[in-house]
Amino acid sequence: MSNLENVQKDFLEILLAGDSKKAVTLAKEVLEGGTAPTEFFEKCISPSLEEIGKRFETLDIFLPEMVTAADVVQTVNDKVITPAVEASESEGITSAGKVLMATVQGDLHDIGKNMVVLMLKVNGFEVVDLGTNVSPSEIVERAESESVNIIGMSSLLTTCLPYMKDVFDYLDGKDTRNEYAVIMGGAATTPEFSEEMGANGYGHSAAEAVALCQKIMA
Amino acid sequence: MRTRGRLHSVLDKAETGPIVEEREFDIEYIQKPIQALIKKYDVKWDKDVFLTADDDLADRVYQAGYELALNTGVYCTSTKRRMVWTKAELDEVIATSPSSVIMGEGDDLAHIQARRPDEDSRVAVCGGAYGIPVPENLFVPVMLSYAQEPLLDFIDNCSLVSTYGRPIRAGSPWESVACWQEVDLSFEVVNRAGRPGMAIGCAENSPTHIGEISSNSIGGFRPSDWHHAALVSELKTNYDQLIKVAHFARTGSHIHTFANNIYGGYPGGADGMAVALVASLILLQATYFGCTVNPGPTHANLSCDTFPAMLPGIGVALQGLNRNTDLMTTAFARTAGGPGTKNVLYEAGALALVGVTSGIALMEGVQSAVGVQQAHCTGLEARFTAQVTHAAEKLTREQAAPIVKALTEKYKGGMTTENRPIGKPFDQLYDVDKVVPLPEWQGMYEEVCQEFEKEFGLTL
Amino acid sequence: MGNINGMDYEVLLTALDRAENGPIVDEKVWDAEIIGKNFQETLKKYDIKLEKDDPYVTADDDLADRLWEAGMELAAKTGVYCIDTKRHMQWTRDELEGILAVMPDQVTVGEGDDTATIIHRRPEEDSHVVIYGGPFGIPITEELFIPFHEAYAREPLIEIFNMGTLLSTRGRMIRAGSPWESIAAWQEKELAFEILDRVGRPGMAMGCVEIATTEVGELAGTTYGGYRPTDCHKINFISEQKTAYHHLIEAAHYAHIDAFSESYFNPMYGGYVGGGAGVALACVSGSIVMRAAYQGTLNNIGPTHVHLSASTHPEVLRALQLGLQALSRNGNFLTSPFIRPTSGPGTKEIFYETGALAAAATVAGCSYIDAAQSARGTKTGHASPLEVLFVAKLTHALEGMSRVDAAPLVAWMVDRYKDSQVDPLLGKPFQELHDLETLDPKPEWQTLFDEVCQEVETEFGLKL
Repeated sequence: MSNLENVQKDFLEILLAGDSKKAVTLAKEVLEGGTAPTEFFEKCISPSLEEIGKRFETLDIFLPEMVTAADVVQTVNDKVITPAVEASESEGITSAGKVLMATVQGDLHDIGKNMVVLMLKVNGFEVVDLGTNVSPSEIVERAESESVNIIGMSSLLTTCLPYMKDVFDYLDGKDTRNEYAVIMGGAATTPEFSEEMGANGYGHSAAEAVALCQKIMA
Repeated sequence: MRTRGRLHSVLDKAETGPIVEEREFDIEYIQKPIQALIKKYDVKWDKDVFLTADDDLADRVYQAGYELALNTGVYCTSTKRRMVWTKAELDEVIATSPSSVIMGEGDDLAHIQARRPDEDSRVAVCGGAYGIPVPENLFVPVMLSYAQEPLLDFIDNCSLVSTYGRPIRAGSPWESVACWQEVDLSFEVVNRAGRPGMAIGCAENSPTHIGEISSNSIGGFRPSDWHHAALVSELKTNYDQLIKVAHFARTGSHIHTFANNIYGGYPGGADGMAVALVASLILLQATYFGCTVNPGPTHANLSCDTFPAMLPGIGVALQGLNRNTDLMTTAFARTAGGPGTKNVLYEAGALALVGVTSGIALMEGVQSAVGVQQAHCTGLEARFTAQVTHAAEKLTREQAAPIVKALTEKYKGGMTTENRPIGKPFDQLYDVDKVVPLPEWQGMYEEVCQEFEKEFGLTL
Repeated sequence: MGNINGMDYEVLLTALDRAENGPIVDEKVWDAEIIGKNFQETLKKYDIKLEKDDPYVTADDDLADRLWEAGMELAAKTGVYCIDTKRHMQWTRDELEGILAVMPDQVTVGEGDDTATIIHRRPEEDSHVVIYGGPFGIPITEELFIPFHEAYAREPLIEIFNMGTLLSTRGRMIRAGSPWESIAAWQEKELAFEILDRVGRPGMAMGCVEIATTEVGELAGTTYGGYRPTDCHKINFISEQKTAYHHLIEAAHYAHIDAFSESYFNPMYGGYVGGGAGVALACVSGSIVMRAAYQGTLNNIGPTHVHLSASTHPEVLRALQLGLQALSRNGNFLTSPFIRPTSGPGTKEIFYETGALAAAATVAGCSYIDAAQSARGTKTGHASPLEVLFVAKLTHALEGMSRVDAAPLVAWMVDRYKDSQVDPLLGKPFQELHDLETLDPKPEWQTLFDEVCQEVETEFGLKL
């Protein structure tokens, strides 16, 4: 097993323990040993996050651990990786894509959407999370101002589906529909509704959402 | 109300009409068309005239307003869509609008009937504080001061400054709590006045739909009460209003509708205001299918509707509507002057004369001191308004015009943003326990009554 | 203010005050720290554990009582989060105890000849469990609405009735928070009362307003000529222990019109409360703070698997029955489980799933049972009264049974569905399983029902 593979195993355990300090220390040590920041991200951070995502899928870990792991990674990125990339003037870590996520107007449920947000982040996507009860006009305006690639909408309630339709109507009205891929999920949505709306995809789990986004960005 | 079958059609329009940005609506569908219509229909009058008696002018103003209603429609801010009616639909709305209504219950009924300009027939009167904020401990004496006045056919509530000591936050459960407190207090008022079935204008503590539909329910305000829905300036609606209207339609509740066009706003001056007013009342009926339609235009700076230059605009618009439709129009006194001043009486009196001779079915008042001074409201100015109203039933526009002009001379000095004659609060003008006017206020009222008799030959 | 449901107006005003004046907290902090961390610490402190090889029906009174204590402590520590004001609503232990001390131990809902009395029960108690049956919000078309629901409402074993939701209203999409929600609420009410008339049970309490997504539907539907105060109105938390203005508005409305309400919440297995032990703890702490926030008449708990969205997942089931035991042993709660199976009608698995949870909850001391949101409530029309009938029969057969005796039955049932949950058997829609003229189950579906009843009789000697 290579040294980085061993490091990755340790890093995974540190993420699961939620220990930001140790994670930062480890990352610094590895980079000081000559490993490029992007290599550390690709060979340690990414696979660890992928493993964490898998364990959450099977509920070997729960949401709090996943949240904590994502926070630790964010800290490592902010304190170690990003500064190292900037200092070396090398190419940064490429984002897998930028996704706007929102639970639509009228709906306050967020756990499903939050899981998708987390899974996207652990898979290298940049995410703009607008929260819950988000009006269609705000979704469209923020998609534009944040220059996202993908708009993701969630709803648990059938009575909130008309607000998803509004997003499509507003994009058509502004003639910007083709600038974004639009996907949807949540218990209220169905493949039939997604097709009727002309969405780019539909998923009924966080894992499916990630796969869909990866396919769109490929 | 037989026209409520069109509820679904109205709601459809809010969901399917053309999408328009709000700013574009204000300019392209309000401001510009109104200016064009003023020219097209030659809407103008002599600046020295405060009550016109020109039927041709009235009809032209009506045509202008009708055309605006047809071409502009109503803007739903919740969906960003323009709700439009075809000519056939609009004509049907006008043709089928109710021309009479009976409100209240038992022995305390109020009859409202559409009228024509100069018609010698009874005008109903609603007296109340119209949402003026009042401390909790004063609600009952304030509203009792109105409810006990026999000339008032029914009342409209004040609003509460707080509910059980807490601030009333719009859109929160406190709205529901406040409106139910309003229920309890209102029924105490009408019971103490011996008029338990009297219609109550409500719910005044409901800035959104929440308080209204919560309290218009089992054990609460009754379908026979007088519920409110409004077009927001200019010609705008939203989900809050439509939710209320759906509720009223379903519960068979009386709906009073109103629109407050802004003098000095997008419609422009009194001429544009008149055109907007006509369009508003037609579209109120189309959107909300209520019983009474009220124009309560508001001065952009002063917030009153008795500013002298506004009066002829209000009058000619009402005349146009009352000559060409059977809508139960009203006039609503929102005075700059507050209680404890002569100004409030002059202003309310002037508007009553304008409204009655222009053919209104119902006189409303008084939202004293433009409704923003805490507890600046009493039943006495409402009584006075009712007295002038009934005296004006005997007058034509030509007979009323010089009286209106003379009254504007008396109060125009108070039409200022500084040193407003806001008057005094209720507990400085009434004995709170006995609910009778104190001598100073009673004396002032009697003086003005005498002025009306001496100077204008009107016995109040 | 009336007290048809034992509501104290000052307690209501206090709750509303706390939503306006409590300390401001970021929602992420609420989730991770106030819920996540506190839950884990409390579980450790009180040694609350649920292992995968524990019986599905536990019979450990000490554990149940420790869970209650843990829940009381946690309720005082956590409280409720108001999403709209971003404030932390808290009650002291004394306040909570005071609120719980005056909870009624029984209630009669409905009217006339069609009332149902729900009583507080303890584990293993030989007393009646009320069946609150229906498709619980499953979407259904306007065309099928009446026959679909009539098939349920005519079942005498169903004592309180909850309908599915309209997919559209008068042909239009139902938009949350808009006047169409109001229109749909009225349409639902009209249909509800037509159905009750058809089955000759005009006074039966209806769960309502099913279409209400915001306060609009509830307030519009419960008014003059609408749903009655004697119906079962709804109010809920969002996971975990969160409220919003629209729920508090409903609480205020119910207080003013003297209406019964069922308050419900769905802790998430695999979410911020953690695993099974966390869910059990959430059942207790959530019930306590829900009582403080809403003073609902009835208390329904529908924990859900974070991926599968079912309440019948074995770990969830085990957690829920323990939570119910803690509540029924230590408070006057009128509790129920919310049965949300992964399977749909037209399968045997649906009987095993719904039966397992019903059985576990009955011996755990629930007062009534909400059944069943078949196929997780996501497939249009995938529900039938037969699964509710099965729940009813099994429940009544188990009244008075001990937890130890019930455990093998539950385990037997779990074994027969657990492997199907990951890729659920969604079954068939109502119109393929029932004759739309007679509303009777078609022979194939009836046969499956009869077979499972026979299995239960053969294996466990229970006559259903």
